[in-house]
Amino acid sequence: MNSLAQRFSNNGPLAQIGKATSLVSEDDDFSDAAWGSEAGFGSVAKGVPTFTVPNVPDPTAFLRLHTDDHADPSCRIKIQHGTTTLAFRFQGGVIVAVDSRATAGSYIASGTVKKVIEINPYLLGTMAGGAADCQYWETYLGMHCRLHELRNKERISVSAASKFLSNLVYSYKGMGLSMGTMICGWDKTGPAIFYVDSDGTRLKGDLFSVGSGSTFAYGVLDQGYRWDLTDAEAQELGRRSIYAAGHRDAFSGNTVNLYHVKEHGWDFIGNYDVNKLHYDGPGDVAGSPGHGYGYDVRTVGLSSANPPAAAASA
Amino acid sequence: MFLTRSEYDRGVNTFSPEGRLFQVEYAIEAIKLGSTTVGIKTPEGVVLGVEKRVQSPLLESSSIEKIMEIDRHLGCAMSGLTADARTMIDHARVTAQNHAFTYDERIKVESATQAVCDLALRFGESVHDEEAMMSRPFGVALLIAGIDELGPQLYALEFCYPSRGYADLNYPYPSRFHTDPSGTFIRYEAKAIGSGSEAAQQELQDKWHKQMTLKEAQTLTLRVLKQVMEEKLDQHNVQLAQVTQSKGFEIVDETSLKQIIEEM
Amino acid sequence: MVSMTQQPHQQAFNPYTENGGTILAIAGADFTVIAGDTRQSEGYNIQTRYAPKVFKLTDKAVLAVNGFAADGNMFVKKVKQRLEWYRHAHAKDMPIRSIARLIQTMLYARRFFPYYVYNILGGIEEDGTGAVYSFDPVGSYEREACRAAGAAQALVQPFLDNQIYFKNQTPAPGTVFPQHLPLATVLSIVIDSFTGATERHIEVGDGLEMYIVLSNSSPTLQDLQGLRGVEEVTSTNDGERVFIVRRELKKD
Repeated sequence: MNSLAQRFSNNGPLAQIGKATSLVSEDDDFSDAAWGSEAGFGSVAKGVPTFTVPNVPDPTAFLRLHTDDHADPSCRIKIQHGTTTLAFRFQGGVIVAVDSRATAGSYIASGTVKKVIEINPYLLGTMAGGAADCQYWETYLGMHCRLHELRNKERISVSAASKFLSNLVYSYKGMGLSMGTMICGWDKTGPAIFYVDSDGTRLKGDLFSVGSGSTFAYGVLDQGYRWDLTDAEAQELGRRSIYAAGHRDAFSGNTVNLYHVKEHGWDFIGNYDVNKLHYDGPGDVAGSPGHGYGYDVRTVGLSSANPPAAAASA
Repeated sequence: MFLTRSEYDRGVNTFSPEGRLFQVEYAIEAIKLGSTTVGIKTPEGVVLGVEKRVQSPLLESSSIEKIMEIDRHLGCAMSGLTADARTMIDHARVTAQNHAFTYDERIKVESATQAVCDLALRFGESVHDEEAMMSRPFGVALLIAGIDELGPQLYALEFCYPSRGYADLNYPYPSRFHTDPSGTFIRYEAKAIGSGSEAAQQELQDKWHKQMTLKEAQTLTLRVLKQVMEEKLDQHNVQLAQVTQSKGFEIVDETSLKQIIEEM
Repeated sequence: MVSMTQQPHQQAFNPYTENGGTILAIAGADFTVIAGDTRQSEGYNIQTRYAPKVFKLTDKAVLAVNGFAADGNMFVKKVKQRLEWYRHAHAKDMPIRSIARLIQTMLYARRFFPYYVYNILGGIEEDGTGAVYSFDPVGSYEREACRAAGAAQALVQPFLDNQIYFKNQTPAPGTVFPQHLPLATVLSIVIDSFTGATERHIEVGDGLEMYIVLSNSSPTLQDLQGLRGVEEVTSTNDGERVFIVRRELKKD
């Protein structure tokens, strides 16, 4: 461990990560065993996870060489990527909507990913970028929010929770973490959204969309967004924006997961198949237009590709 | 009586020729000065009660905190140097959260108790060339109450020392948990610790029965406290808490406490 | 003299290789099947025709590993060690949902030096239902009804989507697709998946090992009675039961 720390201390920015890393060694097993209660087997909880780092001069380059599938499509370890997520604040709380597709290269690894991470009953985090990075660190954040609550007898604010996460990922800056997340909730200040990413950016805002399909989602979202949206209108806007991204972005799709954060905490509104949304719409739900989102319904009988019934039969 | 001990009571790691650790025994004395704390287990849940010593009319009794939440299913009452208990309870909280993070499940009551005991035993110990974490044993005893898949449980952790008769293994009701400064814990059905514990424990032994309701346990806890307290018991100088399957850990608020006291 | 002033240069550190093979798991109402082929190869070279990729962890959990065999074997060993420690510390077997989370934390502890392993965990949940958890190499995980991974993932998964989730199928008028399939159907889907993958993928073949985890007193037990070559590997009484069924696959 000491040799690693020394090596890093000669290595510019990497010096700072020494604290959170340990070299592959006999000590290795024990350090992650003590992490979590072992009731007698490694008795004092450290509260800080430790990570194994390869014994090479530039661990980051090593990781990039073997895992980054944008730089090298033939690399071995494919980490799941690709996403559309959005969240916006309005009069009735916060709407959070995401797709459910995970891709590894061009392979659709899963169409049922839960990209909304339920940190606790009143905080949600979204997942874009590395699936494991988001899942792990947002669960970790949940643990610290709970400790905050126990120690201070008060729920953590969305601002404090998001800052905890952003400080945390910033301490790993340059190590290859990849996450773009929105921490959404309701605290003493009302509904709140913070965008946090692995570069260390943390932004407070009313409306965000993150991921490869975000541009498509923004297109719909910006057009339809108003502060005084009703709950039904807001839910429909979230659903329709993710549908648009699922329709136009190859890396997004499969299904939409929709959440609504209110004063008492979040509610899961529903899961909607993007293909079904295209042809039939969301069905009998609040804000439903009663027909498919696809533009076919607006071109019936008006274009050569979709001629009037009379012309078609002629 | 302590005069002859001067040679062997300096270091926490030094046994006397009679095989005693004086610093540990002094910690037991500290606990004996603590306010009386009572815990009772019932099939519905566990009740914890503690005497707050309100030394001055200017003191805001609501700021005295002797019962704390470890997690939703775990609570803890303390007696002795309560400042020491904060370290132990924070350790229990961190352990419980780490467990939930690593295993996606609630920690068992016994495992949480064990973790606190492990900490209690680490006085005078240094790990991996680091400075010793603690310079003396904790001068506090704890009652840990909780519910898990094995049902409601009560553990006591106090300085258990064979010559002292504390946490006697031949105790007639060997089934709740109680932590002690030498790092052992025992499970009890009902247990009292602190200055009035001898009388209180006798009372518990006489009145406790297996099929107690939660309500009966609340009343018994208050009765026992009332018996050993010098002041007249009211909602300001006692604190009551419970852990139940449906609601988890909760501190009984002053309004409800007042009502329970009036119904006694 | 010149060499004294030169910077030392280092070969790229490449601690990974790909050993082929495929694994899959399917959850039923009260059982789970976890299967893998037994071929291990490197490039076009078959190293062995019998290298197990599926391992029993407890009576209610079976882990399948695929990718780099050395990492996989080491990972299984470490998971088993942690399960043993947990048993000593908490006096019970770890529930499968906890094993899933543990595997996430163990994989993520190697976030900066990953195990090149795709894990599929199958078994019985505390409520008696069949469960499958799938992982990426750095620990993102999800509970599913079925999952294929490894060399022939792209061949097998679409087949499972069609046969298990009934994707792109329309039920006959007046009928609905079943929520869960019976064990006999699941086993024949598993065998067909592997014979199919063996036909079309050079890294799949030789042998097939299927673990079947049955919930406590499951009526599905009867389906196993007549099955050829079924072997019980349960280690405790009156809990979940684990069986292995082996089949030959083509060896060319």
